[in-house]
Amino acid sequence: MKPDPLYDEARLQEIVELDLLAPDVDPILADLAAEAASRLGLPVSLISVVLDEALHVAAFNGPPGLWLDETRGHPVEWSFCATSVRTRDAFVVENAEEDAYHRTNPLVTQDGVRCYAGVPLISSRGHVLGNLCVVGLEQRTFSEDDVAMLRALAAEAVRRIERRRVG
Amino acid sequence: MNLSAQPGPARLPGYDLREPTEDDARESLRRVFGAERGAERWTAACREAGLTAGRVGSTALLQRVVQALSAQGGPAAAVARSVEIRIRTYARLSAAAPSGGQG
Repeated sequence: MKPDPLYDEARLQEIVELDLLAPDVDPILADLAAEAASRLGLPVSLISVVLDEALHVAAFNGPPGLWLDETRGHPVEWSFCATSVRTRDAFVVENAEEDAYHRTNPLVTQDGVRCYAGVPLISSRGHVLGNLCVVGLEQRTFSEDDVAMLRALAAEAVRRIERRRVG
Repeated sequence: MNLSAQPGPARLPGYDLREPTEDDARESLRRVFGAERGAERWTAACREAGLTAGRVGSTALLQRVVQALSAQGGPAAAVARSVEIRIRTYARLSAAAPSGGQG
């Protein structure tokens, strides 16, 4: 069986080498998250770092008062972004209540998430570090152009992230 | 991280989340480093925190060991952050229940 990339030691090593868990990452990437949300008219956007057992929020854009902005992360089993770490491709959920996996996700059942679109942040070393993603509270469709726009912002995020390499 | 066979603490209603334990953290290290190296990492972190592996019996003590684990750097620091986030999420949601925010 193919190993789960979530637990790949080299991937986690690169995340730490890039210092992506430091609080000063947010101001470097927040404008990209904000642009994604603004262009798609959605309330929440993130740049996530997917760890082994949790999603870490590297940059957050959304209304004040959300618990995610306080915890700066959540358990990985609730993470839409983890899918892209495994598939290395964009992941779109247009109606989370009908998604086979996420319809029982507490972010859906308790917090009202209904749509999600995320694209992977792939480093020059080939590791999927996390995602740039948008989240909404109503179901909606995402076009190929929407995903292409997210990919362009994600590429810029990776460029900025890789300037931080310390290892 | 539903990895412990022990009955353990209660799960947070709605979120089906329970507070992380030492067993959870050790299992996380095993998944990333393998059994032997994972155990070595945990034992070293416990020693650094002034504790004994297998006797980290509270969240406060677990946080001390996780801090020491983070100081090891590399993938251990990533595992440590995962445990921290899970502790923080449990604390935030259990304090706020039943109302929360969107994540």
